[in-house]
Amino acid sequence: MHKVTDDGPATALELSQVSHVHANGVRALDTVDLLVRRAEFLTFIGPSGCGKSTLLRIAAGLVAPSQGAVRRADEDATAFVFQSATLMPWARVAKNVALPLELAGAPATDREARVAEALARVGLSDFAQALPRELSGGMQMRASIARALVIAPRLLLMDEPFGALDEITRGRLDRELLDLWQERRFTTLFVTHSLVEAVFVSSRVLVMSPRPGRIAAELVIDEPHPRDDGFRLSARFAALCGQLQSLMLRAGAA
Amino acid sequence: MSAGTNRWSLVLAPLGVGVVVILFWQGLVTVFDVPSYLVPGPWLVAKTLVADWSLLSASLLVTLSIALLALLAAVVLGVATAFVFVQSRAVEMSLLPYAVLLQVTPIVAIAPLIIIWVRDPLPALVICATIVALFPMIANTTLGLRSVDRGLLDLFRMNRASRWQTLFRLRVPSALPYFFAGLKVSSGLSLIGAVVAEFVAGTGGTASGLAYQILQAGLQLNIPRLFAALVLITATGVALFAAASLLAWLTLRRWHESTIAA
Repeated sequence: MHKVTDDGPATALELSQVSHVHANGVRALDTVDLLVRRAEFLTFIGPSGCGKSTLLRIAAGLVAPSQGAVRRADEDATAFVFQSATLMPWARVAKNVALPLELAGAPATDREARVAEALARVGLSDFAQALPRELSGGMQMRASIARALVIAPRLLLMDEPFGALDEITRGRLDRELLDLWQERRFTTLFVTHSLVEAVFVSSRVLVMSPRPGRIAAELVIDEPHPRDDGFRLSARFAALCGQLQSLMLRAGAA
Repeated sequence: MSAGTNRWSLVLAPLGVGVVVILFWQGLVTVFDVPSYLVPGPWLVAKTLVADWSLLSASLLVTLSIALLALLAAVVLGVATAFVFVQSRAVEMSLLPYAVLLQVTPIVAIAPLIIIWVRDPLPALVICATIVALFPMIANTTLGLRSVDRGLLDLFRMNRASRWQTLFRLRVPSALPYFFAGLKVSSGLSLIGAVVAEFVAGTGGTASGLAYQILQAGLQLNIPRLFAALVLITATGVALFAAASLLAWLTLRRWHESTIAA
């Protein structure tokens, strides 16, 4: 495994000529070429069933593509946040967050400190001993993010993580995610249905065409960070949303 | 209606029905002067239960031990089989038809063979009752071990969990609600299996469970005792089911939807 140095732009993930056909014969992805730079916040947007989730699962190494090659720089430090919180309902929040460390066999004392830190970072310190069902949807998602953070990921894959949440909670979690991303500089691959969310969080948005999914267009969001609600209300934000909308229309994605 | 009155009506409503039925039964028997060798009244059954308690309680102990041993065997064998089944679809497909075969063969038909082959009556009866109680444990536990959240399975894979880690940290806890559903069914079946096997073993057997008392009482036209033994069997079945339900509730109450009061 080759190490990537922290200085200078480097490639976090590379997909070359990746195509995928599901076991049931559905063509999910068609010759996707993708170069993800380190510490980039890259978002995929497109209609349902366009292969966004498949792309993410291939990037995670959960699915081997039918064709093409995948190169990940940080094999061991990849975390995945799913569409739903995907917590173990029988385990307390702290236990859920500790899971990746336990599976890796990390020593207990080290584990406790890292779990406490991750929970504190997402504002769930007071809920370490709660059961998942006792938390709201937004809090469950925070716990899920804490579980991803606990392994100090270099690559964070998020598959419509806030899709099931209400607009207000989603907006708040978007901001918190951006803060985290700025602080930790992990590479983020983010999948969403929401144009507004895509423009707000991303450094680059890729528009995917309907099945079989391919990358139809690219929009670079070069707005500096930190971004706040001022950005959301700016004329520039509206213009970027409009630009993305027309790209999606042209790609047949909207 | 508040939760409190709900809970009380949950107990009181069926209890009321029971009292009404028993009073009606006693009334019919008294009014029409039905002879006790045809239908004994509930009061006479209760009196017989007390009078014959030493005899009946000894038999109850025999039947209960057979049922409990069979239930234990069914749980151990059923869970072990389920573990084997989930290791590979090929193994499950090869063995499942035989598990089904075991389930659909009437125990009355094979009990005589088992009783001939196994000389000791107690193990023979336990084997019969185990066969009756086994299938729900296999079927439910297998289903449970397979009913794992896909996302959690992906999470375990991404974190390079070993087969054992996935089994014990994910599949086993996920399977618990299904396991207990099986246990509730099997607890009753183990008793039914025990009683049926005792019947087949007949009065010639040395074991003297409740079925033996029913057979004997029938032959002697001691119908009140027959009814008393029947009441004991029913009560035992209810008690076994209640124990299985309590165990399920104690284990799952913190997190599983089935045990969380609406």
